[in-house]
Amino acid sequence: MRFDFVEPLVFAVLSLGVIAAGAAVVLINRITAAALLMAFTFLCMAGMFVLLGAETIAAFQVLIYVGAITVLILYGVMFTKYGDRPYALFFQRQTPLAVVFVASVGIPVALFSFTFTSGTPSPGGGDLPQLATSVFTDFAFPFEVASVLLLAAMVGAIVLTKREGREETPR
Amino acid sequence: MIVPLGAYIAVSAALFFIGCAGVLVRRNAVVILMCVELMLNAANLALVAFSRKYGAVDERGSVFVVFVFVIAAAEVAVGLAIVLSAYRNRAVIDVDEIHQMSG
Repeated sequence: MRFDFVEPLVFAVLSLGVIAAGAAVVLINRITAAALLMAFTFLCMAGMFVLLGAETIAAFQVLIYVGAITVLILYGVMFTKYGDRPYALFFQRQTPLAVVFVASVGIPVALFSFTFTSGTPSPGGGDLPQLATSVFTDFAFPFEVASVLLLAAMVGAIVLTKREGREETPR
Repeated sequence: MIVPLGAYIAVSAALFFIGCAGVLVRRNAVVILMCVELMLNAANLALVAFSRKYGAVDERGSVFVVFVFVIAAAEVAVGLAIVLSAYRNRAVIDVDEIHQMSG
């Protein structure tokens, strides 16, 4: 193969983007910048899905995460204008404890994650036929339940944020 | 050379830990919601990676990713509604200042 180095190179760039932007979301103090960096993380993740051969999932990722959820979060940032507080973390006094905790959990997980080896890979040609076959045959009932869940979430969000009207009698 | 499955799982684990740390250490409720989304997306990457690397028969993992999309959309909608409601009532958005959840 002549282009053997392309896939690891693209993977390296995308993983660097995902991890760096994800860390910046946690570490940056400005909320709007954090939201846009979150969108960048989702875009890099969509690139990883394309690299894995899951183009349909990548399209859903761009549509739902980069489009809808980022816009929703930005609306939330817009509506909750809050005075600048000095940047502070919850556990800033427990830094040695946090370092010990992260080292004791994260390092074994990171080492363990490299032990997975690939099995029989999926055949090429995209994932849409298999995905559609599974969703509309074996998972048809959970699919409908998910639509009901979305409806309930929509009604719940409207009820939670609705301002109390003038016709409501004061208690 | 093909990128091994372990590399994808390592990136997924790293992003999950980043999101978990963000949920634990940040005060702003909107940023906490963002970090929850990061954790969900890390789980999505693991699901898609396993599904593509082992999925010679079908794509069950990708189906679960579709459901995770649905759950994430519902979660962020209701979560932001709760945050906006708390902000309207008390004008606070930092979770260490929201002492009681009574409206």
